[in-house]
Amino acid sequence: MKNTGDKEVVISIRGLVQKVGKRTVLKGVDLDLYRGECLGVFGLRGTGKTTLLHAALGVDRIKSGTIEILGQNIAKNQAYKKKMGLVTQQPSLFADLNVAENLDLFRVIKKAPFERLEDVIQRLQLEDYLRETLPSLQVGVYQRVALACALLNRPEILIIDEIIRDIDLESRSVILQVLEAYLEEGNSCLCGFSNMEHVHYLDRVAWLDDGMVKIYSPDEAENIWKELNAVIPKKRGEQDA
Amino acid sequence: MLRLFYAFFRREFTYIWRDRGLRVVLLVMPLLSLLLFGLAYRAQVLTDIPTAIADLDRSAQSRALASDIKQAENLDVVAYYNSYEEIKRAIEKGEVVVGVVIPEKFGQQQELRRPTRVAMIIDGSNMVYAINASVAVLQVVRTIEVKSGVKVLLAQGEHMKDAMNALMAVNIVDEPWFNPTINYAFFLVLGLVLNIWQQCCTLLSAMTIIGETGTRSWVHLKSSSRSLFIIFLAKILAHLVIFMATVAVLYGLCFEVLHLPLRCDFGKLMLFTMGFAVAMHSLGTLVSSFSRTAADASRIVMAIAVPAFVLSGFSWPLEAMPQILAQVVKWLPQTGFFQGVIFLSMKDASWAYMSQYYFQFLLFALVAYALTAVIFRLVPQKTS
Repeated sequence: MKNTGDKEVVISIRGLVQKVGKRTVLKGVDLDLYRGECLGVFGLRGTGKTTLLHAALGVDRIKSGTIEILGQNIAKNQAYKKKMGLVTQQPSLFADLNVAENLDLFRVIKKAPFERLEDVIQRLQLEDYLRETLPSLQVGVYQRVALACALLNRPEILIIDEIIRDIDLESRSVILQVLEAYLEEGNSCLCGFSNMEHVHYLDRVAWLDDGMVKIYSPDEAENIWKELNAVIPKKRGEQDA
Repeated sequence: MLRLFYAFFRREFTYIWRDRGLRVVLLVMPLLSLLLFGLAYRAQVLTDIPTAIADLDRSAQSRALASDIKQAENLDVVAYYNSYEEIKRAIEKGEVVVGVVIPEKFGQQQELRRPTRVAMIIDGSNMVYAINASVAVLQVVRTIEVKSGVKVLLAQGEHMKDAMNALMAVNIVDEPWFNPTINYAFFLVLGLVLNIWQQCCTLLSAMTIIGETGTRSWVHLKSSSRSLFIIFLAKILAHLVIFMATVAVLYGLCFEVLHLPLRCDFGKLMLFTMGFAVAMHSLGTLVSSFSRTAADASRIVMAIAVPAFVLSGFSWPLEAMPQILAQVVKWLPQTGFFQGVIFLSMKDASWAYMSQYYFQFLLFALVAYALTAVIFRLVPQKTS
């Protein structure tokens, strides 16, 4: 496993090029995720956040580049998958199953013990929703279920995409508490987001623009965002004048 | 491994049961088709074929002939006309299927023992009606010919017994085996119901791969460390259980309620059907492996399953097709199934004969599943 100073690299991405259809979405991305940190991948809609996250998870074949997860090249070794968890931006649980059935199926897929079910249900406060069908759930509750499924195998790395966007405050609070505890246990999180309001929950920000990534601290990222937003009204004002 | 298998095996039943469309297609459609076909062919043989007579002679002989036609077993004389033109119009309008025109001077010609011609016109636009009408008319003609011949011989001074023996010297007896009454229901109902069943089942099998890879939940299966082979195997076995359960109900109703003939052992028929179900499922699975969407997969399998039945030799013999076409369709599982199932249910065909179909199903399934595996590995399934 790589170490950068005293930081252990759990995901190392080098020269990642990825196409979606004929469009090259990622044009040589370099990225490191350290143990115990939450790295946010920021980008507006269509910039390739999900593509980057799925590539980092090893579910899509990449055009070129190398990805190492927990020291293993994912093109050669699949063992890392046991230590990963995923929450997607779009609803991706088994739509035909209810909450309890989804949790149980994920438990089997992730080879998690039965006791783990009770643990995640309790942590994410899902007791009242177990018999609910997925379409009947609020977005926030749905994301809590999705996070519960992702955490069943006690993953070392969690990949989450827009998990707290547009959700109710109660669910946001529950999810953030669970994620905080998860990171305190020495785990890592790669997190796609597009709303700068959430930037202070992160340790670093990987700003994705035009297929390339630049790394910023949360404060830097917020300042750049503010500057970018300030330019737009100014330009409008100039045009009006 | 077993837990994973059982979880997805059970989940497939849940998925199908909760999808109202699939539930209707798999459970209701075959039963509904059985009800409809069972009712449609309830009469079993086509009787009361609408017939019209135009007696242009109105002699004692022509009236006797008209009476013979009226008494014919499967003809139902519904109208009497005065001209050929009226008969023609009635057939054109579909009011009658058979028209008999007894010419003028029919009786006179009979008296003079001269040959005379009676026109029996059959509407050939409906094949089933036309074939049955031809058989019915042929029976009437044979009776009339014998009667007429006997009359001639009696007039020549022969005794009745000798006259009959002379005319019936060669007695050709037709014996339709396996279906003595040429019962339409025996042949058609089972085939048509199984056709609906195989189409519905093919639709489900077309969901095997794309039903997972085409959904958002696919990303979780792909990112897991578990065997996708076990997951798909569980789905395939769940499908086969559903196919066999459905067909067992259909067979039960066909043989116990509709009393269609079953001359072979029920287990033998189920085993043969299972061979076909595996081959058919492999075809659907293959299609689902390269289809972009579930809708595409459904369209493609329907484009195969529907003509496969028509070309299976069930409704038109393979021997009568162009050889190249017959050779191609021979390899489709539907061809073996629809031929084999008739041979089994009606003739209790031997293993020596049926083994060719089992071999065909096995080979087809092996090739189709192997191709599926290759395509699945080669074609990336996008998750973003």
